[in-house]
Amino acid sequence: MTATAIAIESVTKSFRSETVLRDIQLEVESGEFCVVLGPSGCGKSTLLKCIAGLIESDDGTIALDGRDAADLSVQDRNLGYVFQEFEETLFPHKTVAENIAFGLEQRDDPPTQSEIDETIDEMLTLLAIEETRDDLPGALSGGQQQRVELARQLCRNCEVMLFDDPLADLDYKLQKRMELEMRSLHADLGSTFLYITHNQDQALKLADKLVVMNRGMIEQIGTPETVYHNPKNAFVCRFVGDSNALVTNGKPTEVGDGVVDVQTEVGPMRATAQNGTESETGMLIVRPEAVSLETDDCDVTVTGVLEGRTYTGETTEFAVSLDGTDREFYVVVPDNPEIGAIGDPIDLGWNVDDALYFDELSVTDTVTITDLIEE
Amino acid sequence: MTMSDIEPTEADVSPPEPALDESQSVALEVDELTKIYPDGTVAVEEISFSISEGDFCVLIGPSGCGKSTTLHSLVGKIPVTEGTIRLGGEDITDEPTYERDIGLVFQDFQLFPHLTVEENIGYGLERLQVDADDRTARVEDMIEMMRLEELVDRHPEELSAGQKQRVALARSMVLKPKLLLLDEPLGDMDYKLQKHMERELLRLHRQLDTTFVYVTHDQTQAMRLADQIVVMNDGKIEQSDSVERVYNDPATAFVSAFVGDSNIFTGELTDVSDDGSYAHIETPLGTFLATTANLRSEPTSLVGERIPFSVRPQYLEVTDELDNSVSCQVEDVIHQPGSGTQVILEATTPEGAAHEIQLKSFDRIDPTGTVDVGWSADHATLLEQTSIVDGIDLETDILGE
Repeated sequence: MTATAIAIESVTKSFRSETVLRDIQLEVESGEFCVVLGPSGCGKSTLLKCIAGLIESDDGTIALDGRDAADLSVQDRNLGYVFQEFEETLFPHKTVAENIAFGLEQRDDPPTQSEIDETIDEMLTLLAIEETRDDLPGALSGGQQQRVELARQLCRNCEVMLFDDPLADLDYKLQKRMELEMRSLHADLGSTFLYITHNQDQALKLADKLVVMNRGMIEQIGTPETVYHNPKNAFVCRFVGDSNALVTNGKPTEVGDGVVDVQTEVGPMRATAQNGTESETGMLIVRPEAVSLETDDCDVTVTGVLEGRTYTGETTEFAVSLDGTDREFYVVVPDNPEIGAIGDPIDLGWNVDDALYFDELSVTDTVTITDLIEE
Repeated sequence: MTMSDIEPTEADVSPPEPALDESQSVALEVDELTKIYPDGTVAVEEISFSISEGDFCVLIGPSGCGKSTTLHSLVGKIPVTEGTIRLGGEDITDEPTYERDIGLVFQDFQLFPHLTVEENIGYGLERLQVDADDRTARVEDMIEMMRLEELVDRHPEELSAGQKQRVALARSMVLKPKLLLLDEPLGDMDYKLQKHMERELLRLHRQLDTTFVYVTHDQTQAMRLADQIVVMNDGKIEQSDSVERVYNDPATAFVSAFVGDSNIFTGELTDVSDDGSYAHIETPLGTFLATTANLRSEPTSLVGERIPFSVRPQYLEVTDELDNSVSCQVEDVIHQPGSGTQVILEATTPEGAAHEIQLKSFDRIDPTGTVDVGWSADHATLLEQTSIVDGIDLETDILGE
């Protein structure tokens, strides 16, 4: 295995007149957990299918372990592939053990029966579904079926595993449990995981490398920390994690050291320029957890009216209305502090470092300010 | 160590808020409601709960718990077997659906596809033969309130999810119901959109000042939306309370495990402090001190019994300086930008049994190897009852999957 498990170079794909992948460049290192995150229709599933060989790209190259995938049949690519619709991939008349054994028997050098039995037991234990060994898929819960499919694919011992939003249909508790299992499986197996999802929360938890896609293009590649704290543009900042956005009007005035003064919907404000200062309209974004209710030491302060309060056990979210915009501003703080009643005036503050000013909205040229402030 | 030596550390525990504000008048009262289907299935059994005027109440529970039956009984879609339903003080148990003053918002909103926004909103008033002038005025008020002015001539297919939600609420609210029922309207949406829609729904609820009853199986959604949560399980109510109480003072082990994340330890209650405020629990991982504040029984009466306690992951710290601590192996550390660190740990009993423990920190922390994890006695919540349902086993039914 070379250091680069998957190398994607200038891949483009259109269906009729619609371009779904535009000049995709991506390298996935061997042993990496790479998550591709994007809204539905961004092209992430198409990209995964191109890698698996289920769809042929129009242009560009895909190399697997240094070999041009164009020369490899789907079988020869030797990829594990877990779909979201896992129910349909299991054999309904085979038991769980037989379903898993099928993957092993398909190998070029099939293992002996005792080796097969041993591997099945290991997999069932790893995925905590030992008791389902002799059941038919129809007798299992969705979460159990999903794990059988995972076991079957993982058993094939592929160097590269592709996952198409495999946890999307599971209920909340099971999803959280399986996220932890995916991380530990990845650590135990040491294989390369390429995982696509539309769930930001999951992507931030799972990824070593996070790839943000939008409208057929890659917006940003980086660690979850980098993408979250240093988003390349307003789209990435809005899409990954939670945020408050204010629309700015007029070219920003540079104050020095990347600090700018901008005119927002709620008044003039100081911010840190992220990607230029040339546009007549841009966007100022502040993360809800960067907003403080203790404003004494804050660089920027605003006063609003407390509209709502949502305590969720771990954190409390305050909804605040500001003069000049009809979108509420959100503040998230740990625990359950008392800060006055609904309808009371409330002071909010943050530091210039946390006020991100974006000149450019997206690497695509079709994203508008309206797209980023309305869902 | 004897009990008199115990000086629990000062923990930052806010006093429990009053269960529900008594000054608010009651909008809905469900009294001993039972529904048995013709095939003999007992869907709900003698459940009672009430909702204060203007509150956002969420019915939550695993599938098959009876929450949908409850909703259908409220709306009058199915006849109840036993019990009464009162709305604004009036017994509506046997009233037909159309005379109940209850609005309903469905999953995916189910707007009439061939009608415009304005026609969708006016549809119910037309059916009720409200006179044209009054109808126009009420529809216009609703359109303005829901900020739908620019969308009146559009058809549902031309609307975003957020706009559809506003039209669906407007269509129900124009009939001025005393209660609005929402049947998992945000069930099938992607993560980001769902969060946005929840905030929008909270905003609209505040604006409309109407009592909402919302049904979902999603715990996190319930926590984000509710003033009051009704946790159901197998046809019964485990707890009906404020979010604060359900999270910090769960009535049963089932509630503690179902709502939010929790670490649950089980052992024997061996002794109680002189003033009755704290108890020792002897577990396979060691003996721990827990507050008795939330016990329903007299603490000393429980000496010798097996009682589990739960500690929320956010109350655990990497330290040996709190009332309780246990040595753990760090299994996984998950840094989640914007929300802190989740640590998965494993503690091992002298017999070699592994016990998973989760810790959550709002700060970025990076523990490795073997660490002491501690928590204060005030954050260890004793759970004297496993579940309101008979025959539920803590290990297999609640802690297992």
